[in-house]
Amino acid sequence: MHKTISLALGSICAVFLFFTMISAIRFVQSAWQVPQTQMQETDRYRLVLITQDLGTPFWNKVGEGAEEEALRLGANLEVWGTYGEDREDFLKQLEIAIDSKVDGIIVQGMDEDQFDHLTKVKAAFSGIPVITVASDVPMSESMRKTYVGSDARAAGKMLAERLVQDMGTKGTVVLMGDEREEYDQKRRVEGVRGVLDAYPDIRVEEVTTSDEEEKVAAATQAVMNRFPGVNAFVSVDANLTAAMVQEIGRRSQIAPYHLYSFDDNPEILPLLRQGKLDGIVEQSPGEMGQTGVRMMMRWLDGETVPLDTEGYPTAIRVLTTEDAP
Amino acid sequence: MIGIQRKIWTLTALVMFIMAAIWIMLTYYNQKTQDQYNDILQRYLNMNEVTAASRQTVNSLNIYLLTPTEGNLSSLRRSEEELRNTRSSVGLLRNGKNDFALTSYINLIDSLLETTDRSVRFKSERESEEATRTFAEATRISRYISEMTLQLLDIELNTYEHFYRSIIEQAQELKKLGIWILLSITFGLLLFTYWFSLSITRPVQQLTKAAQELAKGRFERQIVVNSTDEIHFLATTFERMRININNLIYEIRKKARLESELQQNRLLLQESQLRSLQSQINPHFLFNILDTLSKKAFLEGAEETSDLLVSVAGLLRYNLKRLDRAVTLYDEVRVMRQYMEIQSARFTDRLNLVTEIDEKCLSVQIPGLTLQPIVENAVIHAIEPSESGGTITVTIADGGDAVWLTIADDGPGMSEEKRTGILEEREMQPEGHSTGIGFGNVVRRLRLFYGIKDVIEIDSGEGRGVRVLLKLPKTRRSDNDDEAADRG
Repeated sequence: MHKTISLALGSICAVFLFFTMISAIRFVQSAWQVPQTQMQETDRYRLVLITQDLGTPFWNKVGEGAEEEALRLGANLEVWGTYGEDREDFLKQLEIAIDSKVDGIIVQGMDEDQFDHLTKVKAAFSGIPVITVASDVPMSESMRKTYVGSDARAAGKMLAERLVQDMGTKGTVVLMGDEREEYDQKRRVEGVRGVLDAYPDIRVEEVTTSDEEEKVAAATQAVMNRFPGVNAFVSVDANLTAAMVQEIGRRSQIAPYHLYSFDDNPEILPLLRQGKLDGIVEQSPGEMGQTGVRMMMRWLDGETVPLDTEGYPTAIRVLTTEDAP
Repeated sequence: MIGIQRKIWTLTALVMFIMAAIWIMLTYYNQKTQDQYNDILQRYLNMNEVTAASRQTVNSLNIYLLTPTEGNLSSLRRSEEELRNTRSSVGLLRNGKNDFALTSYINLIDSLLETTDRSVRFKSERESEEATRTFAEATRISRYISEMTLQLLDIELNTYEHFYRSIIEQAQELKKLGIWILLSITFGLLLFTYWFSLSITRPVQQLTKAAQELAKGRFERQIVVNSTDEIHFLATTFERMRININNLIYEIRKKARLESELQQNRLLLQESQLRSLQSQINPHFLFNILDTLSKKAFLEGAEETSDLLVSVAGLLRYNLKRLDRAVTLYDEVRVMRQYMEIQSARFTDRLNLVTEIDEKCLSVQIPGLTLQPIVENAVIHAIEPSESGGTITVTIADGGDAVWLTIADDGPGMSEEKRTGILEEREMQPEGHSTGIGFGNVVRRLRLFYGIKDVIEIDSGEGRGVRVLLKLPKTRRSDNDDEAADRG
């Protein structure tokens, strides 16, 4: 009797003790350490990459390349930016970067006075080097240290050569561009014109429009009305391409037209795959990010002073429907 | 020796210890959590203070720019000082995740301070336009600071998310742990208390059982109690008491036996006396008649008859008088001779008595009427049934510290059953026509008289006759017995 009671109580007690132990272990293990506070700021260069088009494949690749390189070189890099070309916010971010005294700013170039003011006056005043990436701005206006990205003129030239190859030396070519006429765009047009102007039978028409879809459509309609015999379209601003192609498709068959564009917009590649575009210039965003960071580090470490103001071109190639990945 | 009190103290101390341990644990945990909460809150408050201080600075700057007085300037300086303080306190919040943002944040604060200074300088140099422009910049920076604060708080939440979740999880785990501990302790204490109470009650039960045994009168069983506390002491005392009682009972029994032996002796004497009394009426009448008869016979010239009558009278008188007191062997032998004379008259030639008597031994003390019944027994069993008669040999010899008295006959002997019956003092059916005192009575009286058991030996067998040997000690065992016998 006594033994049974003792045994029963003992086993119940043992079972509970077992669960108590498990619970206690879980309790102790569930205690997370408070993240360590760190007294010193890390002695690494603080770099910022600022873009207007966060989240697009093109800029994601730029960001990845930059981060990879920053990790390799031991720099502290953050990617800032705006979604969908919010220029105001973009400029604000740039100002914050300058005001928070980062060591270097790698920025998508923007051909605008306020941008120039920030880079030329404010950044220079604080002694912060600025490198433009992917889109360039004139050196004289922005006081940028250098430019890393595709050589816009060479890209335009390459595309024009392809166009001539496809179309022949006779015809009408429409160059569709943003009415802001940024530096990049100008350089591309220069490149295209440089080739086409050599052929007297090729007529080049430049059309500019704002980047709203209806405006692009309207401009496309207008130019097609004005020049019914147009043979080729070159969209020098990738952001206009989709709307332009859509409008042309609405009016007639796309096939007779030669359509060309640049690749810095997420809608371009699908259009190329569908065969709606005949060719695009493919740039190397990853390389841009990498080189940008590398150049910035070289500047900061004083290895290459001064940087080549003409810029460090990254690889470009023409991609046709057949080549499309 | 672990006393019950000490056991109780141990139990209480144990409970107290467990309670204290749990209390300390909970308090420690609460304190820790409280500290952590305070730290977290402090971080948020610090960041918030920066926003407030930057706004205050911009506000003060605005007031100063509008009305550039000394008072406003000093209030601006105070705001700046405040901002610097918060800046340094925010510097302590750095960790791996917010390193970049925090550096930017602090630099933003620096920029704000610089811009403010610049604005004040422009104002003092009366360059109002520049001052307004820098003020606008300061306002912007202040706004950036607010935004950065939000961003930092966001980072903070992300960094500490695991930690916050772990606090919640830990609180839940603590609740579970509490329940388990409560259950464990409850059953642990139950078990402990059970053992503990058993260690007290079991000896008590054993003691109770032992007491019941004693109450039932079983004093033989030893009291065993498995305990080391006060109960053990009780049990030992109890055991000693039992042994004492047992000893007392033994002694009382011994005394009672002695008493009963004495009583028996008395009863036997009374029985003898009663018998003699019964025959007292006749004897006195008989004496007179026998005397008369003796005289008459003598006068008529029958001298032999006269002598016989005298012997009969003497024997009767002895029978009546000598029963309750010690006599000498001499008296016994004389009575035996008188008896034999009478029997000789009856059996004439058939009865042959041979006596070998050491005269020196005749002074030994002997209870009255012992020899005559034995001889009578021999006559009844050896002579009477035999037509040719027989010889009875009575020998009295010195056997050292005892007188050896032998009565032997050459009759058919007695059965083994009868022999042991006599020796074990069993009352026999009187057979034949004795004078009234049986063999058994004699044996008992002899043993009581001398206080020793081996006073008589009977040697017999079929056809070998009976040989009775009495070993009469020359000195009696104690005078007490004698007195007791005398008083009877």
